[in-house]
Amino acid sequence: MTRFTRPAFVVFVMLTLQTTLIAQLDFFGAEADIMMLLPIAAGINGGRDRGAIVGFIAGLSLDLVVHGTPTGFFALGYTLVGYLVGMAQAGVLRAAWWIPVVTAFGSSAVGIVLLAVLGKFLGLEGLFNRHLLTVCVVVAIVNAALVLPMTRIVRWSLPVVTRSGRLVPT
Amino acid sequence: MALSSRGGRSRFTLALLILTSLTVLTLDFRGSSAIHSLRNTASTVFSPVRDAASTVFSPVGDAWNGLFHYNDVKKENDRLRAQIDQLQGQTDQNAQAKQALDELTKLQGITQFTALPSVTAQVVAGPLTNFEHTVEIDKGSASGIKVGMPVVTGAGLAGQVVEVQGSRSVIKLLTDPDIVVGIRLTTSGEAGLCHGQGDGKPLLIDAGIDPKVVVPPNELVTTSGEDRATFPPGIPVGNVSKADLSPAQLTQFLTVTPAADLTRLSFVKVLIWEPTP
Repeated sequence: MTRFTRPAFVVFVMLTLQTTLIAQLDFFGAEADIMMLLPIAAGINGGRDRGAIVGFIAGLSLDLVVHGTPTGFFALGYTLVGYLVGMAQAGVLRAAWWIPVVTAFGSSAVGIVLLAVLGKFLGLEGLFNRHLLTVCVVVAIVNAALVLPMTRIVRWSLPVVTRSGRLVPT
Repeated sequence: MALSSRGGRSRFTLALLILTSLTVLTLDFRGSSAIHSLRNTASTVFSPVRDAASTVFSPVGDAWNGLFHYNDVKKENDRLRAQIDQLQGQTDQNAQAKQALDELTKLQGITQFTALPSVTAQVVAGPLTNFEHTVEIDKGSASGIKVGMPVVTGAGLAGQVVEVQGSRSVIKLLTDPDIVVGIRLTTSGEAGLCHGQGDGKPLLIDAGIDPKVVVPPNELVTTSGEDRATFPPGIPVGNVSKADLSPAQLTQFLTVTPAADLTRLSFVKVLIWEPTP
């Protein structure tokens, strides 16, 4: 049961924070995107598969509560972000504390551009402008600052289940 | 070998998730009732949680705005004080003009938008992500609100209702490039089409204005309300801030500053008016 309740609880809390607290705090007109932190942290911890799956679930949850974008937009975007982070992390041989920070910074900026490109394909106009750069910088900085505690939370919420049914942190 | 099989499984997972996302997107674009009801249910279930959390976090948001937007708030306060002084002087003049206008419109059988029935609603949530131009209000179908109804502030047009639930509605703001408004220039009477250009950017009139028409600076733009229009006539949309000729010089491109401050909406009025099909 814990296998599903923990990740569901984390997604629920992050979704609540994104749509309430974060939506009230604007940085130069841009909002942070802490939901994107979930696939990034999952990709860093558990690789491509986990990154993509967590991205899909986090994105679909966000899709269901926001109104200005088509359903599936964030699911698709976050899936790709999680997969890309997992792929990038697979090539990292060292385990320095700053690697997840740099990964979160870079992947968040790439993720925002990726969402804007997807949005363009899906007919969302007015995304490519100077404001997009502000959004990229804000999201990248906030996610880089929060990625270390987030990776711990994701490690707690997504343990590996052994054959005997024991939960082992990833 | 093991690595290659893991890579293959990862690619399969990715393909499956992308395919599922694309299916959901396709269903949504086709207006699938399953997706619509799923979204409605999620919104209904999540709304109370969000309301409670918003109340808890609102002091944090206020403190943040106080800290980081103090100068903006101070400047705005000064500007508003000056505006109040100016408006107080204009009130008497306007009362006379309004009386004359009321008599004229009554004679011509025209309905002014201020005379339309309306529902006042509070904005309970702004845009939740960086990719949308919507706000949520605390009134819905129970108050007679329907999809397509215009939304105004005291200053002018703010947007249009795009989604309605029992006690909630979603408003697409005027800055959304998807909203196209039939407009009229007040001095020349020239009609055209106006649309948004995204968050924080002015509106653009890029169709219908003859290149020979002289557009005075700060020209007031209102909704035209022409046949089958999506908005009733006479709602202030904004003021022209810049006029350029189109590259082919066949029309004028007019940049319009919205009359309503769409960045800080707190209360709005939904006009109980439906476009004629």
